[in-house]
Amino acid sequence: MKPIERRAFLTRGSMAVAAAGVVTAVPGLASGLVAVEQDAPEAESLAAEAAAAGETLTMDEPIVAHVRDLATGEIGLFSGTREIVFRDPSLAARLFRATR
Amino acid sequence: MSSHREAPEISKDPVADSTDLYAFTSYGNPDHVTIIANYVPLQAPDGGPNFYEFGDDVLYEIKIDNNGDGQADVTYQFTFATQVTNPNTFLYNTGPILSLTDQNWNRRQTFTVVRIDDKGKQTLGTNLACPPCNIGPLSTPNYETLVTSAIHDLPNGGSVFAGQRAEGFYVDLGAIFDLGILRPFQQLHTTFGLQNTGLGAMAAGVNSTKGVNVHSIAIEVPKTDVSKGGAAPTDASSPASVIGVWTTASRQKARVLKAGGTDVASGPYVQVSRLGNPLVNEVVVPMAKKDYWNSQEPANDKQFTPAVLNPELAQLLPVLYPGVFPNLEAYNKGTPKRDDLVAIFHTGLPAGVVAGFQNSMGTVQADMLRLNLAVPVTKQGASNLGLIGKDPAGFPNGRRVFDDVTTIELRALAGATLPLVDPSFTPDAAAGQITPGLTSGPTDTSAMGTENYLLGFPYLGTPYSGFAVPAA
Repeated sequence: MKPIERRAFLTRGSMAVAAAGVVTAVPGLASGLVAVEQDAPEAESLAAEAAAAGETLTMDEPIVAHVRDLATGEIGLFSGTREIVFRDPSLAARLFRATR
Repeated sequence: MSSHREAPEISKDPVADSTDLYAFTSYGNPDHVTIIANYVPLQAPDGGPNFYEFGDDVLYEIKIDNNGDGQADVTYQFTFATQVTNPNTFLYNTGPILSLTDQNWNRRQTFTVVRIDDKGKQTLGTNLACPPCNIGPLSTPNYETLVTSAIHDLPNGGSVFAGQRAEGFYVDLGAIFDLGILRPFQQLHTTFGLQNTGLGAMAAGVNSTKGVNVHSIAIEVPKTDVSKGGAAPTDASSPASVIGVWTTASRQKARVLKAGGTDVASGPYVQVSRLGNPLVNEVVVPMAKKDYWNSQEPANDKQFTPAVLNPELAQLLPVLYPGVFPNLEAYNKGTPKRDDLVAIFHTGLPAGVVAGFQNSMGTVQADMLRLNLAVPVTKQGASNLGLIGKDPAGFPNGRRVFDDVTTIELRALAGATLPLVDPSFTPDAAAGQITPGLTSGPTDTSAMGTENYLLGFPYLGTPYSGFAVPAA
């Protein structure tokens, strides 16, 4: 079992991984995001890519997402003592809709 | 208080609330410097069954600037871990605690100390035991023995301790925050026209912190561990002999409360508490900026200079005590420019301001407790008024546990130090007499309620026991 590294995480496309993490880490968002995740081809392709590479996506520690700005799609991801900031308006919008 | 509950948000987070910071040349070990950072304010000694402790989720730091840029050159980090040895009892201890490994002690903390400088990070100690709280004659019958066991040697010389101590700061909170009453002068207060206030005659001060405890992080290290370039500080006239010290507490950005009474923290640490000079964030910085001040680095403190140049309390004194501070009142009607306070709090006192003394590293404005490491310990005739008491080993040259920082700062705010930078100003006679009335005089180094200072590490006294000092 090989946990995904930050560099790979950022390179492969943060949106899908972020969505998967939020499902687990943010109470109250999970039920709404299940459908989103199911509809997210990025997540499936990333999982397939990982499987093909012999990797298993595992989460060693909680991931918390902070949607800072819907307009720019700026999202802060907290993991361990790190914060990873990226911009993904589409993901930000989907997370927002999940809360409505 | 010095910095107890001094800002609205941090007042709701006691384990991360820095209350006092001390830095001074070790009395009996002049090649070493002692720094004490206190947290968890106003502990009622009988506060069981969950007695006080540090936060496992808080990053505590002591930071030292030795080149005058207001940024840390040496940082000591302290993190804590709590262990419950018997999950089936509600008790803190199930019998007398006779050692730090006693099985009767059910809830205990250990800590890790890390030193960081430009060369990297060095772990100085791990799994270091804290002592229990002082509970009473049955639970902690040999408390001093437990404390002695909890003083740990550091690999490069020096000692470290983290645990409960007696509060060392003294202040008359009930009076000062009742619209600036100073009991020894209360008969002179304006009283806002109110009658029958009971303030008609002078009264003795009341120590609000008498009989309460605090949690201390105390570290004693060779001066060369913190001085500029690691040089032994021998020249008191050299800026290189000066260090600036402050303490911070930080929490991780996100905390998620989970079902089942647990939680998880995530993300980088964010500073929520800061303390350099006593009382600055408490009575100089406006309330709306206090928590913001706590989040800032000293290097950014120039933004707070307006509050130092024209402090609200200096404006209030002539109003609250009509006719008592006529010279200050006249000065206030101009354009106050209290460069004396800027020097005390933000830059240190440069050479030439006080004869034979300096504790400045330059002109960068940064709230740090500045200590000239080359100034020797005052062994005879120490004054709790520090520098204004002609004792250069005391505040604002660092701070010793017995320094009467409230009186020193009240007198400074009242104009006693203004002639240092403005020789045309004559202080009012009252400026040199202000006191909350908690000491018998400048040579009293055991102020009311804090009689148990120690002459050696960790300097703050044995904490009050819960059995002996129940909450009022």
